[in-house]
Amino acid sequence: MFDFIAYPMANVILLLYNFLGQNTVVAITALTLLINLLVLPLTLQQQRSTYKMQELQPRLEKLQKKYAKDKERLAQEQMSLYKEAGINPMGGCLPLLIQLPIWFGLLGAIRYCIPSTPLELFRFSHHIYKWLPGVVGLVPLQSTFLGMDLGQPPNPVQWWSYALPVLVLITYWLQQKVMTPPTSSDDQSQAAMMNRQMQIMMPLMMMFFTLQYATGLSIYFIISSLIRIAQYFVVQGNRGGEQGKSKA
Amino acid sequence: MNRSWTQRWPVGLAVLMVLLLGVSGCAGGGAARPTSWTGLVAVGDVLYVADLQQVQALNPADGESLWAFPADPKEENRGVFQATPAVDEEHVIVASQVPATGFFSQAKHVVWALDRDTGNLLWHFDGAAGPYVEGGAVGGGLFVIGCSDGNVYALDVQSGTLKWVFETRHRVWATPLVVSDTVYVGSMDHHLYALNLSGGTVRWDFEADGAFASAPVLRDGTLYVGAFDDRFYAIDADSGDERWHFDSENWFWGSPALYDDVVYMVDVNGNAYAVDAEAGEQVWHQSLGVKVRAGPAVAEDGSRLFVGSEDGTLYALDAVDGFVMWPSESEGQMLSTPVVDGSVVYELLINGPYRLRALHVDNGREIWAYPPVVED
Repeated sequence: MFDFIAYPMANVILLLYNFLGQNTVVAITALTLLINLLVLPLTLQQQRSTYKMQELQPRLEKLQKKYAKDKERLAQEQMSLYKEAGINPMGGCLPLLIQLPIWFGLLGAIRYCIPSTPLELFRFSHHIYKWLPGVVGLVPLQSTFLGMDLGQPPNPVQWWSYALPVLVLITYWLQQKVMTPPTSSDDQSQAAMMNRQMQIMMPLMMMFFTLQYATGLSIYFIISSLIRIAQYFVVQGNRGGEQGKSKA
Repeated sequence: MNRSWTQRWPVGLAVLMVLLLGVSGCAGGGAARPTSWTGLVAVGDVLYVADLQQVQALNPADGESLWAFPADPKEENRGVFQATPAVDEEHVIVASQVPATGFFSQAKHVVWALDRDTGNLLWHFDGAAGPYVEGGAVGGGLFVIGCSDGNVYALDVQSGTLKWVFETRHRVWATPLVVSDTVYVGSMDHHLYALNLSGGTVRWDFEADGAFASAPVLRDGTLYVGAFDDRFYAIDADSGDERWHFDSENWFWGSPALYDDVVYMVDVNGNAYAVDAEAGEQVWHQSLGVKVRAGPAVAEDGSRLFVGSEDGTLYALDAVDGFVMWPSESEGQMLSTPVVDGSVVYELLINGPYRLRALHVDNGREIWAYPPVVED
């Protein structure tokens, strides 16, 4: 279904593999960097939304206290506040929605570059961009990393391969923790409860997802989360500097 | 926007992910969905077929089943059989993948040795860590087979005892060629290896710029084999030196066919070539314009070349000039090398109503198809 993304992505992996020492993990890492660069505007927008939400927290808490017994009125007041502050509550959703086809495309790309079945390999044989330099003869790519087969899901024979989905869980949770506005544990509003549930649910879902599919995909998610976390602190650092200057 | 939508988007997103998993065809897999093509070999007056959930011995005259292993796959699941059987005087040796039964269990990859006359199980070997894609070869009392775990296994053909293992640096998806005391086997690590049959030690290895995924053919001291670097090679069988190579547009995946002094090969773009075996000069070229996975088969009198395509069409070409004499269309995909036996050519299909058809070599007329249609 996502072959229209998978084929070009697979060819980019081939190109990176050829120019980066024929190392599959390095090629996937480089692709992850490229993808994150591509979605950087959306990620920055999401982070700006996060900061504004953080700034609004005190006012939101006041509203929660004031309308504790009137959920409908509370929701209306919250929406007015968001509108006044220029925050789109759906702002956190858009980057994820855009990334979903990228994830599935990448899953397909990894399956084509490190195929576990001949039918997958045969399918890809007609979609290699031979005009790209050095890609002829590369497929299938070298598939082992630390004794794991990057084209296979984690399995009991290579039991250490289960560490990758666990790392996906940890790094994704960290990313969420860092980038999601904190809510007070006393805040029992539906939004806050939903937020807390998603902070647990999304990392678990990501781990479950990566348990089913090629370990190469886990590499992408781990690196992607680390990039986002680093990006957050860089941007926050710059923001702190700018705020300091403006106060001065 | 109302409250319920803005607050429930994370749940909606999670549901969307699960739906996409299902729609993208990524989630799970059925027990016997083909992941590869099936294989057939004609030995004596029997056809031995890897037929997904069973191995079948069929009567070549009408496709009637002589025996099957396992007899009832619903009672006794021995996995999915796809790799071509290897047959010697006493044995039919096949490989299957037995699916995992639970979340933390793993699939098993098993070699089964069956009595050639009855299909009774003689021994099995399950020491491999990856699936077998192509079948193995028998020679010198050993059964040799390559595996997706990167190893080449040699088993005693009488007992199934593991005799030696040779490790390559990538998947081995090619059938080995056993000739006298040497095993020739290609690997996805871009090497064609010549190994001593007795101990699995390396005599020589030839490196190409692409993977080897098919068995070489040996004639007069020269090995003929294609690779994924869009090249076809003639290699000295004693030294491993290249004699010549022939370039095409895309990968050579199936094994070539030889007749007299001509090598016939087909690339995955459907370019069929006849090339002089000695010098590597092109005799003719026919572009079929279809996707072809397997190698060609030559009629026993050398007059015709048979090529199967991914869209289910079997082409008969004139071996002299490549002219297409007849096509025969079928439902399904034809990704296996056709097999010629006398005046009949057998084609194997996947994802269609029939898995095996027997056709006349002269005109492509169907003689019988398997499985047979059951009339009420």
